[in-house]
Amino acid sequence: MQMQHLTDTTGAAAQPPVLDVRHVEKVYGSRNNVTRALADVSFTVQRGEFVGIMGASGSGKSTLLNCVSTIDAVTSGHVFIDGVDVTGMKPAKLTRFRREQLGFIFQDSNLLDTLTARENIALPLTISRVPAREVQVRVEAVASRLSITGVLDKYPYQMSGGQQQRVAAARALVGDPAIIMADEPTGALDSKNARLLLECFETMNRTYRATVLMVTHDSFAASYTNRVLFIRDGRIFTELRRGAASRQEFFNRIMEVVAMMGGEGSDAL
Amino acid sequence: MLCKLAWGNVRRAGRDYLVYLLTLTLAVTVFYAFNTISVQVDLAGVTAQNAGMGETLGGIISGLTVFLAVVMGFLMVYANNFIMKRRKKEFGLYQVLGMSKGQVARIMTFETLFVSMAALALGIVCGLALSQLMVFFTASLFKTQIADFHFFFSLGAFAMTVGCLAAIFLVTLVFNLRVVARAKIIDLMSAGRQNEAIKTRNPWVSAVIFLVGLAAIVVAYVRLLHDGLPYDGTPEGMQTFGITTAIVVVGTILFFYGLSGFLLKALQSARGLYWRGLNMVTLRQLSAKVNTVSLSMAVIAMILFLAITSVTTGMSLASTMNSTVERGTPVDYTRCLVYWSADVVDEMNAEVQAQEAHDAGAPSDAEAVADRSDASRYAVADDPIDMMQASAGDTVDPDTADARPFDLASIAGASVQVDTYDSIPRDADKPVVTLWDLCRLVHMDLPAGTETSDMTTLGLAVMTESNYNEYLRFRGMETIELGENGYTITSDMGATVNDIYNKVLAEGVELTIGGRALRPVQDRVPEDASTFQNAMMGMNSGTIVLPDDLVAALDLSPYISYLMVDYADDVSVGEGDAYIGAYRTYGDVTNAAGESVAGWGVEATRTTTYQSVDSMNGLISYLAIYIGFVLVVACAAILTIQQLSGVSDASRNYRILSELGTSVREIYHSVFVQQTIFFVFPVVVGIAHSIVALSVIIKLVALFGGMTIGGMVGITTLIFLIAYGGYFCVTYVMGRGIVRDAIRTRHAA
Repeated sequence: MQMQHLTDTTGAAAQPPVLDVRHVEKVYGSRNNVTRALADVSFTVQRGEFVGIMGASGSGKSTLLNCVSTIDAVTSGHVFIDGVDVTGMKPAKLTRFRREQLGFIFQDSNLLDTLTARENIALPLTISRVPAREVQVRVEAVASRLSITGVLDKYPYQMSGGQQQRVAAARALVGDPAIIMADEPTGALDSKNARLLLECFETMNRTYRATVLMVTHDSFAASYTNRVLFIRDGRIFTELRRGAASRQEFFNRIMEVVAMMGGEGSDAL
Repeated sequence: MLCKLAWGNVRRAGRDYLVYLLTLTLAVTVFYAFNTISVQVDLAGVTAQNAGMGETLGGIISGLTVFLAVVMGFLMVYANNFIMKRRKKEFGLYQVLGMSKGQVARIMTFETLFVSMAALALGIVCGLALSQLMVFFTASLFKTQIADFHFFFSLGAFAMTVGCLAAIFLVTLVFNLRVVARAKIIDLMSAGRQNEAIKTRNPWVSAVIFLVGLAAIVVAYVRLLHDGLPYDGTPEGMQTFGITTAIVVVGTILFFYGLSGFLLKALQSARGLYWRGLNMVTLRQLSAKVNTVSLSMAVIAMILFLAITSVTTGMSLASTMNSTVERGTPVDYTRCLVYWSADVVDEMNAEVQAQEAHDAGAPSDAEAVADRSDASRYAVADDPIDMMQASAGDTVDPDTADARPFDLASIAGASVQVDTYDSIPRDADKPVVTLWDLCRLVHMDLPAGTETSDMTTLGLAVMTESNYNEYLRFRGMETIELGENGYTITSDMGATVNDIYNKVLAEGVELTIGGRALRPVQDRVPEDASTFQNAMMGMNSGTIVLPDDLVAALDLSPYISYLMVDYADDVSVGEGDAYIGAYRTYGDVTNAAGESVAGWGVEATRTTTYQSVDSMNGLISYLAIYIGFVLVVACAAILTIQQLSGVSDASRNYRILSELGTSVREIYHSVFVQQTIFFVFPVVVGIAHSIVALSVIIKLVALFGGMTIGGMVGITTLIFLIAYGGYFCVTYVMGRGIVRDAIRTRHAA
């Protein structure tokens, strides 16, 4: 199946894509023992999109996210973020780029256990030397949008897992990044907290026009997105667009694809 | 197989073992080098002029080594716990794979053994090198010439070192085996994830605790500066001092307990600074560690304080002696004779009577009677005796084949006898003048450390004008003229006491003694003309010189007689010293009635005084450096281990920071700031304590001729700082390594 350059043609002419992945390949191991984690993957993401990446474990979806988010280096191919090629960047420049252009949310919230929620959210701003007064204003604003004002002065160990993840989401959002990368953000949450977090992502996406790229193996989580890319054996297998469909309809369509790809969907709900 | 596994582990966990290895190696080096002291003292030619010095020092050093080995043992247990904590999971895995606890224990035994052997080998090599170098140091310390330098190896020191290392090894092993024996597999396996629970305290409470601690320290300082040291050992003095000590200890602990909270609060109020870069991370990281670290920081501050204070005091005292010894040894040979006072005579005669009554009751005990000295009665002397003449009663090297009679006159050239009198007249019970009287006359306080002692009732010694002029002529100095109504005061005690005398003389204070009004004829204490005997430090604490007729009229009894002798021109110093010899018995000093009037005091040649000073200097410097160095290394090692375990606990946080786009440089900087605070604050507090304590000690020591900070203090401090700084560097480099690894492996976890 040939599925190259899955480009959102509708907005392409008006605006360059915020993320442009071209022919990315990732190979692990030595000459005698090669594992091909990604093979010729290409796609784009437009500003303001909420994109899901689905696949079974070992399909290469986390590798893809790592390559796109500059945490891992690609073997060949290019990744453009906001028109800048990040594949050849020097480490120091990469650090700065990551700080200014990317936001991260991980499966375990990765909050600093010694800082309060407020300080955790402020971190990307203080690292970028944003003036103290502005830091306060922006932290408060994001927190109230994501309904976590009540936990701002608590430490991570005093919060529930869901609260921690929403704080992590606020931290990813506060620096106003070009794109937010979320790696299995609902993986460690119960269904109620997962739903709250996903609604939080929707809010981010709708009110802040934040671009979100979310890796998940959970069809329910994927149904909150605008578009889902399915990955199998290191290649893009297919993509689904939500269009005007309701979340339930979109969920059913995702389930169909998952079933067609063979298994893995049964534990989604 | 287990051995191979252990070897692999040591090599792989090399960095974890580095602190352990470094500290143990340093300990072995220092243990070996200092225990070669008796050989060194030989080589440096000290024993040639100071027999027994080597053994004395050697004995003290061996004893100290055992004590320091115990300290080191506990330190090693601590260091090892750090390694164990990081490797619990690994030990759990071995057990899950089917190894018995015994086998795991054996792996660990091998590992500990390898590291100990490596430390022994490295340490002995370094120790060998250091001990050769130290011979030169020893020679300069004891001011001797190296007679015959050759490379040496001391089996005794080696055995001592191996013994101590073996003891340390065994202690560490026992603790390790206990950890393995007690641990459950489930705990071991989950050890990696069990992050130390972050206990946060209200920073306001911390800040208050800090301020209370600071206030307590200040109160203790003020108390110490005001009360001084309990020099006289009275219960009240000791109690006051005890309370001050308790306050400063508690204050120091509170200070460190609240330190991070206070820093946090202080910086939070400076918003621009707090919400900037990694500042808040650095501070939060500091305050998160405070529970585990604050107590040891306080203990380290106190240990550093003790090390600094004792090393500085010891060395300064020694160097002060060194600088005053020239003034303190005006002639080739002196001896002094202390006469029995009326109190002593009464007491001893009563004892003799009791003994006689007892003997009469038990006549079978004939030996006791025969043993007693010829003079069985004691009396207060009427007049000073002629000491030159009395010296003929001495026997040199008694009870040996070389025993020979002695006559000082046979080697003496110029000589003078100085006679001082007790200032309490025979028919009175109060001294004619006391230091306390003088203090009141010039409105000064008694010197620090003497306020509560019997200084208030102790009189100044008295001497006659003619005798003092005789002394001055002997010394080749200008004589004085008191006339009918003059007086002057001599004293070589320096500083505090002489300040009072100087003021008395300068103000021309009038004294009424024996009904006669007297005025001083000098405006300063003649310090250079006040020394009557060879000694390391001033011994004349105040002697008032009065007109001869007044002294006669006062009817005083003799106090101390001093005989000062220069050898005759045809007698060299070596010949004279040899004739004096080292051991002697004195002839009895009796009055016409055959009653004992004095016990012998002290004798000293200029040479022996110089040697005592050099030996004392060497001894103090040796012990100070030895103890100080080991303590400083121990403190630094504890800080290092704590910091590294802290960095490794926090490595997840550093990984997150890196993911958020913090540059590695900034993260290193944060680690650096944290470690600097941990290393610098104990030193700062320790130094602050030391400065206050030293200022009080200096005041006290001023009584005995004063002391200035000097000698080897500078160089010793430098050595300590290098050792401490070395640990700091190791900590930082290793901490960076841990952070770097954590960032690199961020997604492997």
